[in-house]
Amino acid sequence: MAERCARQDTPARRAAPVGPVGRGATGRARVRTTSSGGRARSIVRMSTFPEAVRALTDDALVAVLRARPDLAYPSPSTLRSLAARAASRTSLDRALARLDTPTLQVLGALVTLSRSGRAPGGTPSDDAGRPPLPTVTADDVAAAVGATTPDDAAAVDAVLARATAQALVWAPAPGAVAPAPGLDEVLDPVAPTPLPERWSPVPPAPVDPRPLPTAVVDAEAAGAAVEAVRLVDTLVRAWQDAPPPVLRSGGLGVRDVHRTARLLEVDDQVAATVIELAAGAGLVDDDGEDPPSYVLTTRADAWDEAGTAERWGMLATAWAGTRRTPWLAGTRDEKGALRPPLGTGLSRGWVPRLRTQILTALATLGPIGVRPADVCADLAWRSPRAVPPESAVTGLLAEAALLGVTGAGALATTGRTMLDLLDPDGASTSSPGGDAEAVLAATLTTILPEPVDDLLLQGDLTGVVPGRPSHELVRLIEDAAEVESRGAATTVRFTPASVTRALDAGTTADDLLATLSRVSRTPVPQALDYLVRDTARRHASLRVGAAGSYVRAADPAVLTGLAEDPRLAGLGLIRLAPTVLAAAVPAAAVQSALRGRGLAAALEGPDGQPLGRLAHPARIERGGARLLRAAYHAPGPASDAERLALVGQLRIADGGGRRSPFASTAGGTAGVSGPALARAALAAAGRTGPPSGPTPSAGAGTITPGDALALLRDAVRDGGHVWLHLVDGRGQPLRRRVRPLRLDAGRLRALDTQRGSELTVAVHRIAGVDPDDDPGD
Amino acid sequence: MPDGPLIVQSDKSLLLEVDHPRADECRRAIAPFAELERAPEHVHTYRLTSLGLWNARAAGHDAEQVVNTLIEYSRYPVPHALLVDVAETMDRYGRLTLHAHPTHGLVLEASDRAVLAEVLKSRRTSGLLGERIDDQTVVVHPSERGHLKQVLVKLGWPAEDLAGYVDGEKHPIALTHDAVPIGGGPIKHWELRPYQAQAVDAFWYGGSGVVVLPCGAGKTIVGAASMAKSGTTTLILVTNTVSARQWKDELIRRTTLTEDEIGEYSGTRKEIKPVTIATYQVLTTKRKGVYSHLELLDARDWGLIVYDEVHLLPAPIFRMTADLQARRRLGLTATLVREDGREDEVFSLIGPKRYDAPWKDIEAQGYIAPADCVEVRLTLPESERMTYAIAEPEDKYRLAATASGKNRVVSRIVETHPDDQVLVIGQYLDQLEELSAHLDAPLITGATTVRERQRLFDAFRSGEVSRLVVSKVANFSIDLPEASVAIQVSGSFGSRQEEAQRLGRVMRPKADGRTAHFYAVVARDTVDQDFAAHRQRFLAEQGYAYRITDAEDFDPA
Repeated sequence: MAERCARQDTPARRAAPVGPVGRGATGRARVRTTSSGGRARSIVRMSTFPEAVRALTDDALVAVLRARPDLAYPSPSTLRSLAARAASRTSLDRALARLDTPTLQVLGALVTLSRSGRAPGGTPSDDAGRPPLPTVTADDVAAAVGATTPDDAAAVDAVLARATAQALVWAPAPGAVAPAPGLDEVLDPVAPTPLPERWSPVPPAPVDPRPLPTAVVDAEAAGAAVEAVRLVDTLVRAWQDAPPPVLRSGGLGVRDVHRTARLLEVDDQVAATVIELAAGAGLVDDDGEDPPSYVLTTRADAWDEAGTAERWGMLATAWAGTRRTPWLAGTRDEKGALRPPLGTGLSRGWVPRLRTQILTALATLGPIGVRPADVCADLAWRSPRAVPPESAVTGLLAEAALLGVTGAGALATTGRTMLDLLDPDGASTSSPGGDAEAVLAATLTTILPEPVDDLLLQGDLTGVVPGRPSHELVRLIEDAAEVESRGAATTVRFTPASVTRALDAGTTADDLLATLSRVSRTPVPQALDYLVRDTARRHASLRVGAAGSYVRAADPAVLTGLAEDPRLAGLGLIRLAPTVLAAAVPAAAVQSALRGRGLAAALEGPDGQPLGRLAHPARIERGGARLLRAAYHAPGPASDAERLALVGQLRIADGGGRRSPFASTAGGTAGVSGPALARAALAAAGRTGPPSGPTPSAGAGTITPGDALALLRDAVRDGGHVWLHLVDGRGQPLRRRVRPLRLDAGRLRALDTQRGSELTVAVHRIAGVDPDDDPGD
Repeated sequence: MPDGPLIVQSDKSLLLEVDHPRADECRRAIAPFAELERAPEHVHTYRLTSLGLWNARAAGHDAEQVVNTLIEYSRYPVPHALLVDVAETMDRYGRLTLHAHPTHGLVLEASDRAVLAEVLKSRRTSGLLGERIDDQTVVVHPSERGHLKQVLVKLGWPAEDLAGYVDGEKHPIALTHDAVPIGGGPIKHWELRPYQAQAVDAFWYGGSGVVVLPCGAGKTIVGAASMAKSGTTTLILVTNTVSARQWKDELIRRTTLTEDEIGEYSGTRKEIKPVTIATYQVLTTKRKGVYSHLELLDARDWGLIVYDEVHLLPAPIFRMTADLQARRRLGLTATLVREDGREDEVFSLIGPKRYDAPWKDIEAQGYIAPADCVEVRLTLPESERMTYAIAEPEDKYRLAATASGKNRVVSRIVETHPDDQVLVIGQYLDQLEELSAHLDAPLITGATTVRERQRLFDAFRSGEVSRLVVSKVANFSIDLPEASVAIQVSGSFGSRQEEAQRLGRVMRPKADGRTAHFYAVVARDTVDQDFAAHRQRFLAEQGYAYRITDAEDFDPA
């Protein structure tokens, strides 16, 4: 909930007012003004914390609520209860978790001073109106923390001001400061907080800093960015051809991770990060089919068309807002199960905030080679009471390096731009496809080296692109060469295999050589020219194709004209050799068609021996024809009367002409609306119902199991509702309106929205399914 | 910086653009620490290796120099991780030192106790190190000096060897700068070529190591000059007897050494003289399970040991040589590529690469003949293709390499070179015999007696015989200065160094500056072609671009 609050109040966050703080000993003016209120307001002397809270200006109160969002949810009834809540242990704990070291040092000193009897403080037990003197002043605090120089004293002042704005410190009297009640217990419930040994107004300096020129940082970031885009692109292309399956419990299986890692030539950890990046950018997603697999989304089309910088913009924007923790992929959860990439176990709400903190820390550290330990030390200074786990910091830094947000360990120009686009809680300020993408892409463009159009071809069949290859060269290299080394330059080698790949893709030897000579400043070496031509000569000398059956004859003349005969066009005959034709349809169909033309065709077996009469009619090839088989067995209307009845039902179901959202996909019978289809199968459902129980109520309708499952799958994918006809354990029929969640292993998991419960039903207990068009939920 | 000739890749390869105006300057700057990997026409590839960086440290370069050089010549910002890695790698050198202790003899001393502890704990060093003197010093068995250094390199903590070399027995040797040319004739004055002098200096400064020069670039002279510099008794290890004789002749001609001072230690003769030339074969001959000629290594207090064709060093020699670490060692080779991947062992036993010249550079200076390499592809007739297709995998290469059509191609090539001295080189004896008959040319194989070989080679040198068919015995170290055409019909599978050595047979500069021709006849669409592609890699990487022609349209160019 806190996060929701944090997001809601962000727009006004930066207008934090300066709270009332005085410095008694110097006798300087007591009265401060609120900066955002616009109205000067003198500080009223008051004696209790609730009073102090009540006396806050509206602006100041808003500031408090903004800084401590938990105070506003659920909304307190009175200001007094707000004050009580502000002094509560939970709220204080939350507030302190966000404070940096100097603030905590100041608060600790303040608590210690107040406890030592010099100040009465403002504990709730105090009687109102009791004289609050002697009091602790800002100078006392400064002295206690060891802030001696004027700068340090000013820093302590500022810290107290910030703490006051969060209602952690209040002013019992002008010039005096006191800790919020309860703070002493939260800061240290047992012993009094010891005074700090060393006043640390600035983050610890990194150990052994290695200064880096900005050019190096940006160059490395640019290199990494290009590489990240390449990795994601390789992944997208591979998954396009072979979508990996989704695990039953969600996520990507270990073998597919290994396979992807091998493909990308990286380790599993990097592969997991790349996979998460691709998914985060919305390029791949679970298709919700049965069985489900990860397929490309329509956003991959935009990816295909975009240039390197735009693509990177997509990735960077996605990363900036994601809550995913790819570094945890491959680790085990509490139950000992592996957490797969893309699985649900990898989301963590704190990731965006930590990411912003890390980027901020890097920005503060400047252009030096930063180690994870330095960042951890910095973060520990920023929020000592909530130090992030080192593994998370390391993981995020690795991601940042991979993506090119950092270079050589320092925040690059790209990272600075990203940081500007983020608000402190890490929520990205822009949605995918929006401005952030364009801004990030533009930033990357400024640090990318100029693309190079040259490919230096050499006699040993290698080539070198002395820089970042241009788009055209990237394509050429991918198609026709093996990359040997990447980096500032790219070296490639042409091999028979790589040239074959290019030829497979449809290039001809002449095209390829023309392209090569266009991009090369020097003539194409003879050896390469020969390689390309020689490979082309051998290319496709063996060919593989699919055929349903064949026709052969001893005499070529018999076959003449068959392939061109329009009456036999449906057979898909192709002449492979003078005496062999291939047909697209099964042997029996060819045989009967040929007989129809008066040709006495005999069937033969795999051994070439004649088969005689075919015992069975045409059989359907195993696999790939499930729908057809279902169609064969589906009970269809047998007479015209039955057909008319069906049409009538269709009209009724269609009612106001409203089409079911499932209509187009239900059971694969496009054009028939869902409910109608369901009713059409009424009889079938009646047969599958329990013999003892009554048939489902008239008009509810049921359908064949295959269609029922299809409807359920559609509903799972679209998140829609259906009416489920069930048979319970006692054989009683039930009817429930549910939202199906998951359909696998013979079970349906669905949410009964009316009852607010989840139910799991064995599929064989489902008597029928009706789509429910009512979107109301 | 933005327009440097060098591109530093994060995988530690360095790409040097040859046509860049600062390329030469850059090449000299990176040579001490980067290994030249490939040298084709436009972009040479160097690689940073741990060994190379340590050698640079040994030669007195520090990490800062290396880093600055990379940054200075790099066209793009140098990957930061690489610079850090260079510094860290170079920092590992010298934590351990080997030196002679006045009382304990050879000791290993560590400036970093943790490193010594790590090294002592390793199983690999067990048996190499003796008792511990204190927590930073440990005794080394003198005979394990080489082995220990090798192990330490593998462990990643290379030792700096400060123990020095034994002086060896003095024996005056000097170069005579007037020599009778090989075919006889008037005495001619000669001087060391610049690169030869550089190689000798580099070797001498480094103490021990390998000099890599192309075939025909005068490695023997580098050996002779090193001997003169050393001025001590010398043991020369060569590949075969013919080569031993050549060394002997060359030394007599180029130095003050006389015939009496040079001994031959081979299967036939066992002489031990101030300068002794022995074959690898005799050293590795076992009698009753023991190497019976090992005493040769200790027969004299050798001041220098020269290994000719060091890339062929047989494995037993590796072991024997390990305890010769106290003597100066010079390795000579044209092609330090081994198909068994033991290049590193050569470096750690004999010493790092001290000098390496790309073939094309020497060619450009005119010291080796320019060569035209052609691969002639022969399409097998239908019947042979069928035989090939159904042959067992282990027979396929032999079948393809000895295809009968090659004879015809060879004779056609020979016809196009009527005025040249032609060598036909092959692997399979029956094929060579056929060719010998076909071309009516004498045949030299391993079975030919040394005397007969000498006679034929002399006849070939003098021009009496203009065509010679030879087996792999002629792969190395045979000086045939006037041979200008070599035709390779078969080889030992994909051996890169064999290919280079065979090209080397024709690379002595010709009196009339003719271009040498090297033909490899290959059966199309067979493993022969695949092996040929692999064989050519070394030369292709040295910048020899093969032309490929079809046997059918072989055109007398």
